[in-house]
Amino acid sequence: MSGARRWRIARVPAALVAGLLLCALLTPILPLPDPVKQEIANRLATPSAEHWLGTDEYGRDNLSRILWGARVSLSVALAASAIAALIGTTLGLLGGYFRGLVELLTVRASEVVLCLPPLLLALLVVTLLGPGATTLTLALSILFAPAFARLAYGETLSARELDYVAAQHALGAGSPRILIRTILPNIASPLIVQFSLTVASAMVLESGLSFLGLGVVPPSPSWGLMIRGARASMEMAPLQLVWPCLALTGTVLLLNQLCDRLRDVLDPRGQYGAMAGRSRRPATQSNPARSTDSPKASDTHEPLLAVQGLTLRAGGDAPDALELVREVSFDVQAGETLAVVGESGSGKTLTVLSVMGLLPDAVKPVGGSIRLRDRDGATYDLLSCSEESIRSLRGREIAMIFQDPASSLNPLLRIGEQVAESLTAHGLREGVRPRVLSLLKAVGLPDPEQQIDAFPHQLSGGQRQRVMIAAAIANDPSLLLADEPTTALDVTVQAQILELLNRLRASHRGMSMIFVTHNLAVVNEIADRVCVMYAGEVVEVGPVSAVFKDPRHPYTAALIRSTPEGEMERLNTISGTVPQPDAMPSGCRFAARCDQAKSSCASGGSPELLEVRPGRLSRCPVINQEFA
Amino acid sequence: MTARNSVAAQAAPALVEGKGLVRSFSRKGGWFSRSGAVRALRGVDLSIHRGEAVGVVGESGCGKSTLGRVVLGLAPLTEGQIHFDGQSLADLSGPALRTLRRRMQIVFQDPYGSLDPRRTVGAQIADGLIIHRLCAPGEVPEKVAALLEQVGLDPVQARRLPHEFSGGQRQRIAVARALATRPDFIVADEPVSALDVSVQAQVVNLFSDLQAELGLAMMFISHDLHVVRHLCDRVVVMYLGLVVEEAPAADLFQSPAHPYTRALLAATPALTRRSSEVPRLVGEVPSVAAPPSGCGFRTRCPHAQAQCSQSIPGLRPVPGAALRKVACHLAEQIAT
Repeated sequence: MSGARRWRIARVPAALVAGLLLCALLTPILPLPDPVKQEIANRLATPSAEHWLGTDEYGRDNLSRILWGARVSLSVALAASAIAALIGTTLGLLGGYFRGLVELLTVRASEVVLCLPPLLLALLVVTLLGPGATTLTLALSILFAPAFARLAYGETLSARELDYVAAQHALGAGSPRILIRTILPNIASPLIVQFSLTVASAMVLESGLSFLGLGVVPPSPSWGLMIRGARASMEMAPLQLVWPCLALTGTVLLLNQLCDRLRDVLDPRGQYGAMAGRSRRPATQSNPARSTDSPKASDTHEPLLAVQGLTLRAGGDAPDALELVREVSFDVQAGETLAVVGESGSGKTLTVLSVMGLLPDAVKPVGGSIRLRDRDGATYDLLSCSEESIRSLRGREIAMIFQDPASSLNPLLRIGEQVAESLTAHGLREGVRPRVLSLLKAVGLPDPEQQIDAFPHQLSGGQRQRVMIAAAIANDPSLLLADEPTTALDVTVQAQILELLNRLRASHRGMSMIFVTHNLAVVNEIADRVCVMYAGEVVEVGPVSAVFKDPRHPYTAALIRSTPEGEMERLNTISGTVPQPDAMPSGCRFAARCDQAKSSCASGGSPELLEVRPGRLSRCPVINQEFA
Repeated sequence: MTARNSVAAQAAPALVEGKGLVRSFSRKGGWFSRSGAVRALRGVDLSIHRGEAVGVVGESGCGKSTLGRVVLGLAPLTEGQIHFDGQSLADLSGPALRTLRRRMQIVFQDPYGSLDPRRTVGAQIADGLIIHRLCAPGEVPEKVAALLEQVGLDPVQARRLPHEFSGGQRQRIAVARALATRPDFIVADEPVSALDVSVQAQVVNLFSDLQAELGLAMMFISHDLHVVRHLCDRVVVMYLGLVVEEAPAADLFQSPAHPYTRALLAATPALTRRSSEVPRLVGEVPSVAAPPSGCGFRTRCPHAQAQCSQSIPGLRPVPGAALRKVACHLAEQIAT
């Protein structure tokens, strides 16, 4: 997102706030009646041409009092918040950065204020200094500064551990430079949000204190005083109460909006999170499902899983939708391990998530089919069958393990309960614990009788991955999806987990597995066949040993050559980077980086995935041409 | 490239010399529980000569990253001493240490976390030049452009923000930032672990070229043995905060002397063989907070005997190999 475009989202609230401030500033020169001039004869008048918002209990003009009141309320709230932010942020930054004694003198000292009830503190200050706008500002800034200090302190604590701060130290930068140029800009976002909240609560508190008679002194107008005055005559003239409340609420909402937008504008990375969050498919399909679901009889030669022409788009059918995965086809035979290998952005994880029905919200399948044969020989199309049938297949027929066992286990549940959940979800009621124990034993968790009651954080990374595997195989699934399950582990532990998976596959009535990885050497360890993906397409499929010995696609060949191993003096590299989904080249997607590309490769549509030899598929236009 | 300058270099004084390095973190207990110390480094000796690339390998928790930061003075030492070009880091005042930092730099693992997301890459590369006043203010853009070119990026990209680059490009930017101060020594902390294979090869080659061209001394921290073998002259293997083996790269990979090194090599998957035949190491790395008595590796070692639990084996020369050292009571028996 460019700078100018980012500012656009803040335009409307910024203009409104500017208008509000301008109004408040210009109030003295606007042709308004005197806000303190009483006109008892005309008290509690309804809106008229002369008094647009009517008059109050002393016959003073409401509009004039609202605008004059805005000057008081806004200046007190903004000044108090600004002072609080300045003091609090400085204290928090220093305390979080230097720690030790400085922390005690800054952050901890300021926290003393938090121990006092706010109203009591305000009373104290007012009693000492006498009521008035200045006193009020002072009291409010004392009240709000510790919140800023705490926030800045916490943010600084996490920021100072970041690599780019360490890099500044390594460059020899002094502390002031690091604090002002590196840490402050990066902790600004939450502080800005805090500022908006503070202004809002300062306005409310100002009104509250004025209402109690501790703030602005009558007859000066303030929104709090207006509410106080209106309360007495609430039954006779309810409108009196509406104006100041409306002004207060509107201003607070407006400020919140502005600060929210500002935070987005100031984040150079723009908006993220569109892809976050996983959704199940809409439940509306569940009723008519019977007809489409009806299992078809099948002969036993059919593969266990057949993915045909799967195309996934972010943004669905919209014209600017991004095609993330295009025409992916592969199948998995019973008892076979298929490795799906590719670099980031190749679409390998999305492909596997769509088999599990766990695609992110924003990504939708727009074509193709995923056919799964269950243990009774019935076939389901996972893309079109109901959420209900998917749920019953999940866990029982297909199970999945993820890359990060630390975040895929619930930290608040004992591991035994988490494994048990996958059993009870499919109807097991009795003998759950012995079954869980035998599962934990099967995955090689040391000391299962003790560990069954442990929490995830008490286990090491490798042990957590074993627990995940135990939960996944609890119902003897016929297909296990593994998304980079060893990437986060150390090599000696990775070797153990790979061995465990190999062993389970042999012992679990020929469980099939789809193993997603970026590591070719791991593919060699675990898989029978390999499916190489590049930029959202399958470019080569074949038996692992044959593909590694004699790759039939230049991308596969280049990947193998760039893997460091043995005595090579210099690594072969693939120049350039993977094309992004919003800028896919025409023709072969690898052509621009390919050392065998011909001029014809980069034109026309994407080349077809052809069987170049029995059991070997390739999407290379040059090789396909030879073959034809 | 292996022993090419090791022998010659050993004679000259080392550029970086660490002796008895200990780094402990105090673990704060609650009001009622005792606090203890976690020793991430338990007494490490290390020397790196000019122009030498030393690989530091080991699994998570072995202290390799801590060692990298301690050597640069970015993390405080609990015990021990570090000399850089003859000067003790502990003796230097704040300003003097900051001046010395010009000569030693670091490249981090995570190319997404090591660049400030809010400043242009040009400004970040320029930081070192400005802090150490290495050129006139007017020349800064020119120097930044030259540095970007040196790491294989287009100089016009200096005005962009880090998020506009891919992971491999960011790592190049981080390298350019480190090179800006014309350092003698670079610590590279897992610089290619977060990158895709094809990009990883580009960055590995970049390091290899720079090291050769600029005569940099380098400490290359990695868990990937293949990458270390490819880049380094000498390799240091760490386990639970101690060095267990140290050897010229070629020798280490050909005939590992420590049982842990052997296990590590056997567990590393390879394209050319299946490791199913190799015996697996059982269990996982013990917690640094409570290391086993004696040899840290004995709980997982297939050769462990009674004496292994009694005393911590010191690092000693491997018989018949002048440049190799191993910390194992049973090295001689195992060698056969």
